[in-house]
Amino acid sequence: MGFLAPLAFGLALLVPVIVAMYLLKLRREEQTVSSTFLWQRMVRDVEANTPWQKLRRNILLLLQLLLLLALIAALARPYLLTTGITGNNLILIVDRSASMAATDAGGTRLAAAKHEALRLIDQLPDNGRATVIAVGGQMEVPASASSDRRELRQAIERLEIRNGGGSDLSQALALAGSLAAREFESEVAIISDGQVTIPDQATLPVPVQFFPIGSRADNVAISAFVLQPGQGGQTLFVQATNYGSAPVQRRMVVELDGALFNAYDFTLDPGQDRSIVADVPSTVRRATARLDGSDVLPLDDQAWATSGGTDKATVRIMTDGNRFLETAFSLLPGIQVTTVPTTTTTFTDTVALTVLDGVTPAPLPPGNLLFIGPLRSTELFSVTGALEFPASRPATGNEPLLRNVSVAEINVLRAAQLTKPVWARTVIDSDGGPMLLAGEQSGRRIGVLGFALQNSDLPLQIAFPVLMANLVGYLAPGQGSDAAQLQPGQPLVVPVPPDATRVTVTNPAGNVAELTPQNNQAVYGDTDALGVYTISIERPNADPLARATAVNLQNAGESRVAPRKQLSLFQAGGRVVTTAEERAGRSEFWRWLAWIALGVLIVEWLVYQRSALAWLRERWFTNRRGAPRRAGT
Amino acid sequence: MTSTPTSERLFDAAFLTKLDRLALVTKQVVAGALQGERRSPKRGASVEFADFKPYVAGDDFRQIDWNLYARMERFFLKLFVAEEELTVHLLVDTSRSMDWGQPNKLLYAKRAAGAMGYLALSKLDRVTLTAFGQERELKLPPQRSKRGVVPLFSFLTDIQPGTATHFAAVCKRYAQTARNAGPLLLCSDLMDEEWQAGLQALLSRRFEITLLHILAPQELNPQLEGDVRLLDAEGGASVDLTADLDLIRRYQRSLESWREEVGTYCTGRGINYIPIDTSYPIEDLLLNLLRQRGIVR
Repeated sequence: MGFLAPLAFGLALLVPVIVAMYLLKLRREEQTVSSTFLWQRMVRDVEANTPWQKLRRNILLLLQLLLLLALIAALARPYLLTTGITGNNLILIVDRSASMAATDAGGTRLAAAKHEALRLIDQLPDNGRATVIAVGGQMEVPASASSDRRELRQAIERLEIRNGGGSDLSQALALAGSLAAREFESEVAIISDGQVTIPDQATLPVPVQFFPIGSRADNVAISAFVLQPGQGGQTLFVQATNYGSAPVQRRMVVELDGALFNAYDFTLDPGQDRSIVADVPSTVRRATARLDGSDVLPLDDQAWATSGGTDKATVRIMTDGNRFLETAFSLLPGIQVTTVPTTTTTFTDTVALTVLDGVTPAPLPPGNLLFIGPLRSTELFSVTGALEFPASRPATGNEPLLRNVSVAEINVLRAAQLTKPVWARTVIDSDGGPMLLAGEQSGRRIGVLGFALQNSDLPLQIAFPVLMANLVGYLAPGQGSDAAQLQPGQPLVVPVPPDATRVTVTNPAGNVAELTPQNNQAVYGDTDALGVYTISIERPNADPLARATAVNLQNAGESRVAPRKQLSLFQAGGRVVTTAEERAGRSEFWRWLAWIALGVLIVEWLVYQRSALAWLRERWFTNRRGAPRRAGT
Repeated sequence: MTSTPTSERLFDAAFLTKLDRLALVTKQVVAGALQGERRSPKRGASVEFADFKPYVAGDDFRQIDWNLYARMERFFLKLFVAEEELTVHLLVDTSRSMDWGQPNKLLYAKRAAGAMGYLALSKLDRVTLTAFGQERELKLPPQRSKRGVVPLFSFLTDIQPGTATHFAAVCKRYAQTARNAGPLLLCSDLMDEEWQAGLQALLSRRFEITLLHILAPQELNPQLEGDVRLLDAEGGASVDLTADLDLIRRYQRSLESWREEVGTYCTGRGINYIPIDTSYPIEDLLLNLLRQRGIVR
């Protein structure tokens, strides 16, 4: 503990002044009474009952001294060294991803993080400013360079768990870096459980403090849960994974359309998973799996699966013949493939997706497009040259298109050098430029793979069919069994027949939203809550179409809740491990002392006025009793 | 606390008028402890026949009923009801603690004693008055009949507040020296540690005691605030207090319990205990309160 203004202790000279004034004042007023006989009698009674009588006489003096001491202590501005911050401009990065919903920090980790954030805000110097960046799902900045404590507090209090989107720090760190560079004495504080994605090239010019949250790692999750059409019925596939560090015995209960189907007991070693495959009747529309018992993260202990539609999506492949492509697409469930020659110029029938294998037809076909090894620029993207032997790597972040795809093993001979257009995001990156782009432009989804399949060993790898399946799931959404599963936060895309009159989505909480179809599809974006979303499409002269999509937290990155005590970050000057250090912060508490002083002042006043208060109290009771009581005869 | 100057007329015209009216009102009814004309169990000289008694040597032969001797030829004495006069004892505490309060306690005591004395004198009783509080008690020689009113009142008027009470000693001496017992009116504030011993001493004679316990309103409901040092009017130990309402309430409770204690003590011993505060009109005291208590019928 230290004092910022120790000179204030000079005011302690006022203590003897007060005492002296008190002694001078304590020349008691002398009053003659007929006899002190009665008073002595009373004092005897009182002193026999209240040993504090002597103290009572001096209580005002004591209170005044206490008040003075509290004021002096407050003016001396005492502080405690704590884990915290010293800067003037604080940039708070608060993790609100699904793993922060773990309940091992006295409440949820998010609550603990909020508490920590509020504590840091309190440590800010009086003119200090803070920016709050919420990481998890879409990055948000609820409070920007604000010195208004109330606004900052509200911004922090309002943070809520985002189930989807993982926890990618790259954007937040980039923003924090640019914010910090503008201000003097900036400091970045990351409050997280450490289950975050950190970019390799993030460099921050300012000190970074990491405040770890969370203590336990035991978590079992339902890591996969699918209901797929199978032989003469449907196949239910469910997988539970132990992400913790100790063997766990759990029971999984599976319900079909609300009725209990089966319960499975199993013991899982750390890191082990257990898969269950069961045949279920084709009439089952919805299945629920639930892990009994409790672990740190309850969000992933429950999963839903819905029966996918049986209608098939048509994929048009424009190729001069590509066995790899045709095979991969024909193996995908719920997909019907039509092949057209590269010379085709007019496209009449609407299809879900057109794959352009090495061709860029002058008017691009309507609908969603997947370019493979484009040779020329189009109106959607530009090809600026060619790359020889580019080393590909996945883009940072939790990219859903790269689910179960290992990118590092792909070798590419030659690829088109692409420039990233504004609508697209990089899925596979390389030193020379993006290798795979994906994104949405004016209502259509576009994918661009930079290299031709024959120029790489991708088709020979396991990653190929998986990547193709992921791409088709993204580019031709709402088709087949893939459409029955979504990651939280992913937009729910519904193919809508042209004659539909009304499209509504009911979310797990029961709220109904009406969608406006565009280009024969409707998009519903608010899918952060876990559960089953029901889509209803009304058509004239026909029964409404009903579909359901399950949103599950099947994200290994979030289910792996083991907290990390330190984060590794590139900082200016090399790779530096940053972690919360003792002594870093200085928390002043003069406000509390000032409050205490105020309290003592109030108490002193009450004591001084106790006669009047007692009189008021007596009046009050007399009035309530209704009959005034006379003292004396 | 302001004390009423003793120079204030004790018995002003208004009070005397009231007293006269009181005497009229009580003419037929004054009785009880302070009754003067009353039958005595002794036989004595009066006009009312009581009994006959055979003569024995030594009897007053003037009382022999000669008519009866003529008929019976034996001597009988004719006995008449004796009309005994009573001595009404008035004791007034004039210690300095009594000279206090608004209205003044001593003045009140004087008036009460004067009024009772006046009533007794008007009934032809003997009245003796003793003021204690000085080094030596001041005694008014026994007075009889209305002629005694003037000395009684002038004696009361001349009484000056004394110094301190030695209540028990005074009472003891009085009990020893009083010639004959009778109704006794004691006007005091009993502000003395030894009040019990004093009353006990008086009880040793067959006095019919009425205790007029006089307190000032300022004693019943003291107006104190803040840090005060209470000085004893009689020169006793001073008391330092930080007065607040709570303390006043406790004082009042203590006072109340003290009065109850005195009251219990008195009723247990056949003493008429009348707690009174000086704001109570003296006419009401004589006409109502004493009548209710059976001291005046």
